[in-house]
Formats: sequence, structure tokens, C-alpha cells
Amino acid sequence: MALAFGIVGPGPTIGPYDIPLYGSPATPAANGHGRLVYAESPFGVALTPDGHARYDIHVTAAALPAPSSLGKFRAYVAWAVTPDLSAWSRLGTVSNGSSTVGPVDLNKFLLVVTAESDSASATHAGPTVLHGISPSSLLQRFLTQPAFHGVSE
Amino acid sequence: MPTGGRIRAAVVAAALAMPGLLPVTVRAQQPAPGPPSPPPMAGMPGTPGMGPDSTAKGAPSPGAGMNMSGMPGMKDGSMAMPIPMTPGMPMVPGLIGLAPGVAPFLPGAGADPMRLPAAKPAATVRLKTGDTLDLTAMLVRRTIKGRAVAMYGYNGQVPGPLIRVPQNATIVVRFHNRIDLPSAVHWHGVRLDNRYDGTPGVTQAPVKPGDNFEYRVHFPDAGLYWYHPHVREDIEQAMGLFGNMIVDAPDSAYYSPANRDQMLVLSDLLVNADTLIPFGREGPDFALMGRVGNLVLVNGEGRDSMHVHAGDVVRFYLTNVASSRTFNVSFGGAPIKVLASDVSRFEQEALVPSVVMAPAERYIVEARFEHPGQYAMVNAVQAINHFKGEFDAEVDTLGIVTVDAAPATPDYGHAFATMRANPAVSKDIDRFRPYFSKAPDKRFTLTMSTSGLPLATVQFMDVDTAYYAPVEWIDAMPDMNWLSDNQQVHWAIRDQATGKDNMDIDWHVPVGSIVKVQIFNDPKSFHPMQHPIHLHGQRMLVVARDGVVTRDLVWKDTVIIPVGSTVDLLIDASNPGAWMMHCHIAEHLESGMMTQLHVDPPAGTAHQ
Repeated sequence: MALAFGIVGPGPTIGPYDIPLYGSPATPAANGHGRLVYAESPFGVALTPDGHARYDIHVTAAALPAPSSLGKFRAYVAWAVTPDLSAWSRLGTVSNGSSTVGPVDLNKFLLVVTAESDSASATHAGPTVLHGISPSSLLQRFLTQPAFHGVSE
Repeated sequence: MPTGGRIRAAVVAAALAMPGLLPVTVRAQQPAPGPPSPPPMAGMPGTPGMGPDSTAKGAPSPGAGMNMSGMPGMKDGSMAMPIPMTPGMPMVPGLIGLAPGVAPFLPGAGADPMRLPAAKPAATVRLKTGDTLDLTAMLVRRTIKGRAVAMYGYNGQVPGPLIRVPQNATIVVRFHNRIDLPSAVHWHGVRLDNRYDGTPGVTQAPVKPGDNFEYRVHFPDAGLYWYHPHVREDIEQAMGLFGNMIVDAPDSAYYSPANRDQMLVLSDLLVNADTLIPFGREGPDFALMGRVGNLVLVNGEGRDSMHVHAGDVVRFYLTNVASSRTFNVSFGGAPIKVLASDVSRFEQEALVPSVVMAPAERYIVEARFEHPGQYAMVNAVQAINHFKGEFDAEVDTLGIVTVDAAPATPDYGHAFATMRANPAVSKDIDRFRPYFSKAPDKRFTLTMSTSGLPLATVQFMDVDTAYYAPVEWIDAMPDMNWLSDNQQVHWAIRDQATGKDNMDIDWHVPVGSIVKVQIFNDPKSFHPMQHPIHLHGQRMLVVARDGVVTRDLVWKDTVIIPVGSTVDLLIDASNPGAWMMHCHIAEHLESGMMTQLHVDPPAGTAHQ
């Protein structure tokens, strides 16, 4: 008999899994937090065949107004977005409190929550209400530093 | 400029003149004020008396007579060899020209490899209760990138002989150490009598060169296991001392059916062109993240190949014997079904996209090759390029499976597509389920400290802290890693309750206990990194990761703990004795990252 999926305690509060979420001009008071947790895997570490980590995201959101207060919207939908904003992947719906969405398998990405008219929407159309960046987006680029001037890649 | 010997690399400061950072300075080597050294336990890895210096019985002194002057970059036998950098990754300017603070060591003390026996592939040895196997660690000749080199092997084989026994068999292994280092044989994952666990300093004295030791190995659990030294694993294991054991269950349908079996023993070697990078004589270098090779090997060779029929199901027995590398293996798009891991089958078979395995882990999987053609077995990861601030795809081809047009006979396609439940596994686990949610009996933090590292390393790592990869798949900083040894790097398993580290932890439980252990891998240490934690002689369940309950359980002896992650383990402490628990990255172990679990027999009984 296998146990059911569930959260039994707090995970790390800081580290390579944390995504602070910020409000937007439409929702300046909104805030939240995303925490990356490896998607279910027999190996503990979930990867795609080409080596991308596969994460679920535990989203905690606060001070989100009712979607309808922003227009003809009914739900908030989370998206994983490539850094150049060219590709949006639907992760699931979120609301105030805790939600689990995913999985995401991008090396670097933005986590964006938008208001949508349909909770099942497959494309983003509404205003952004929360946004943050994956921890990996903070990876530094040292070749721009003076110490490496003249050093070729 | 230091060129080797005991002069530390930190004499010359870095040129990391980044805005807001330290100016370029020259810093004299400071005495290492770090944490106390591990307790002086004769025979413990990394302690005096256990390095290559302690060879005995007339074995040649390592380094002495080792002619390295012909190696690229070597000068007068010193370690001033340029370390091979990952393509596209420059050396940190402040490290150029430095050398490790340990003397170089390679097997054979300069012996002519052509006078050594050529290593042979593993031969299967089927044994039953009462049988005896002579197992000899010896020098062999292997060919690496076309160049003959002296390395190690068991019975002249790399991997060592595949020992195949029925479940509950007890065999005798007469070990003969004929290499130039002290050694011992650890029977990884086997819940055997503590006396034969093969851990010098805990269960036996090291077997000196020329000496022998007799092991009595009992195999209570069906599955895939491996044997390797527990002395200077960073050298001995990397140089070829590893082998597998398959313990067959009495039930012929224990696993779902397959047309054939295939062993896949994964390892790597670090080479500069066609030359092995020497090891540290007094202790390991590459202490920061372990030695990650740039040449991936399968069954000791550069590439595996096999021929199968269309529709064949191949059962792969995978073992990661690398010092530090974590693999992500797939089979050219062939569907993969995972059956079992370290000490048991999974409760439920499952299809998986790839097989992720940390050092010392084992997985038994099946893949079905449906269509004629060629399938590439690969290790594919997303590696960090610290200099570009990007991820780079890294792919190593492990082998080629050629599928011909002849149909599989028999055709196990239906069985392969059926995900079996294993109620016997679930029933065995049932008595442990009431303990899954209990409070941890012990909480550990994985952390580290350093002293005396090159200033350039310290400065670089201090500022490269905005993001830590949960798992480091390659060595993105081989120059920094090379220039770190186990006198400078102190890896620790820390008891959260007492603050004690490693072998100072006094951890006793009564035999028969069900022990909940929570381990947190601190992301705030100087060099956060994943750790494959191995517990000897017992079995354990990973009941939760970062608070998420595990749905499909399997008995393990080694578990990967990514940076910043917390795992909850439930240990079936049923096997009395003193058992090591340690990181299985060889250089981390040699840098102190080990403790002991004492499973105490009932009062009034003495465990022998």
C-alpha cells in the first residue's frame, strides 16, 4: 500500500528553491512565494532525459484581490515563462493561500501569475498579478568582470 | 610560485579585482585554524598511516621512482600539470601556475605498464553457500585513450568478477592485497555480519600490501550490490577496484521478464590528453567537490555496445561507481521501466524518462527496443557555466544498442507495458508505516568549512553565492577543485542536537529500533553541494523529501541529498554492530564526512 501525496512539514526556507513573488501595478499589495520541489520521481531528483530538472512549485500567495475586481476575469493562472518572454507554459491555477502547480523543466524561467477569464485557459491574455524569477536566473556571469578581461571563453 | 610539495597554493593572491571586492594582494599562507582533525583512528581513511606513505611489506614507496617528467606539463615529477578545463571555461587568473599541496601518486610507482597483465572484463562467478572465492587486488594494464597505464583490478578484471549468489547464501571470500596501498573490501549494501563489513578503523585493520583477509559474506536480500575498497577510495576505486554482486531471489518471476541482462557499471576518469591526472599522495586533492572525470567509462571501457532483436526487453543492472559524478542515463528514447534499487524492488514499477543515480546507488531497470535501428545510451545533464552564467547541455555517449529486424522471442511487450505492484515489498514495509510521521530521533546538517585555500578560490566562491545548483553534474571549476585537499577542506555531518561533527558523534540505538533521521543539506556553507549519504549494514526508507511524502517506496542504502534539501529517513536498525554512515563522494569521505551508527545488541549479549 502506498501513501498518498501530501505535505508533512516545512522544507527549506531559503536556498536554491525559493522564488519571491511580487505584485504588479495592477496588484501592488499582492505578494507571495514559490518553492521549487522536485517533481515525483523514484530517484528523488527528477530530470528530463536531456537533464533539465523537473520541479513542482508550491505557491503561497497573499493580498490577491478577487479576479473580477480587475475586469472580466474569473481565475488566476500560473505560467512558466522563458526569460525572453517568448514561450509561456501553463502550470495551473493559484489563489490566496497555498497551491501546487507544475511541473516546470526550464533551466531559467519567470514565474508569472495572470488573471484570466477561464481557469482552464491555455494561453495568457489577462494582466499580471504576481511575478518572480527562478533561483537559477541569479546565476552570475563572471566573464563580464574586470578580472577576466582578456580571457577568452 | 609554489610548484608542489607541501607549499600551499594560497601564497599567491588572486587577481579577482572585481568592483567591491578585495584588492589584489599577496597573502602569506596562514596556518589552518579550522575544526579539529578527525580522531586518530588507525585505519580510518584520511588519517596518518593510511595514505600511500604507509605501504608495507616491501611495497615501493609511492612517488619514489615515479617518473612523471614525460607527462604533459610535469616538471621533475611535481604536480605543476595544467588541469584540463571544461571547454569554454577559462582558469581563474589567480590560480594559474599553482599546484596542489599534496605530492603526486599513481598506481605502480612508475612500473612499466607493458609488463603488467592486461585487464580483462568481468567474468561471472556463480557461488553457493559454502563456496570460497579468492579475490586479489592487483596491478593491471589498461589502455586509456591509446596509452597503456598501470591501474588496479580484482583478479585482473575491471570491473571485478561479477559474484552471483542465491538469496541467503553465505560465501567465504579470501582477499589478497597485492597492490601498493593498504586496502579492504566493503560489501556495499549487504546486511552482513559487522565483522566482515570491510571498514578499517571500525571493523578491521587495513589489509597491508602483501597481506590477506578472510570475509564471510551473507546475502539476506535479493538485488544488486557492489564491492569496493574502504581505504583511499579516491585512488583505489577510481583506478579500478570495484565489482558487482547479484543476489538472485528464489522466485524466477521476481522481476518482470526480459530477453537478456546487461550490466552497466558507470565510472569516470580524469585525464589530460592521454595521461591520468595523479592523485594526492598524503591525502586526496579535489576535496571541494570530489574528482569528476572528463572520460566517462562503462564497465571500465570507453563505450558499450550490444545487439538485440526488435522488441527485445533488456534488463539493465546499473551501478554508479564514480567518485563524485551523478549520472542521468537514458536509452535513445526507448521506454524505461524502473524495477528496483539498492536493497529491494519498488512497491510499484513505473515508467521513467531517465535514470538518475548518485555515486554508489544502484538501479535495476528494463528498456524495450521496439524498432530496428540504433539507440544511443547517453548520460545527459545541464551543466552550469559559471563564466557565461548559463547552462550548457552535456551529453556523454555510454554505448550503442543496435536493434536488428528479427522479432523478439519471446515477445515480452505486454509484460513490459504492465506496471506490476510488488505486494511482498509493501507488506514488508507495512510494519514501518506507523513510524513514518514520528518526530525525528536524530537530526543532522551536512556542512563544511575550509582553511588555507588559495585566496582566488575563496574570493571567487564568496561572490558566486547568488545561486547554488541543487546538484552539480560536472566539475565546472576543476582548477579550484584540484587546488583543494583534505587538510584544507573539512566536510561534516553535524548532529544538530549536540553540535558535534562526524566521528565525535556518539550515536547508539538498540537493535530492532526503527530510527527516524532527518538530514538537511545546508545551502549556506562555503561550498554547498549534493551528498550521496550511505549507511552501512542496515536498510532505510526515504519517507519524505522536503516535506513531500514518498509514494512509491524502496529500501535503500544510499540516498542523494541535493543542496538545500531535507530528507526524512527511516532506518531498520536490525543488524547489530558499529556501522559507518558517510558521504560516498570519495574525497568528501576522506575529508572527514563520516560518522557511526552503533546498533547495540540487547544488554548482556555481546555482539561478536
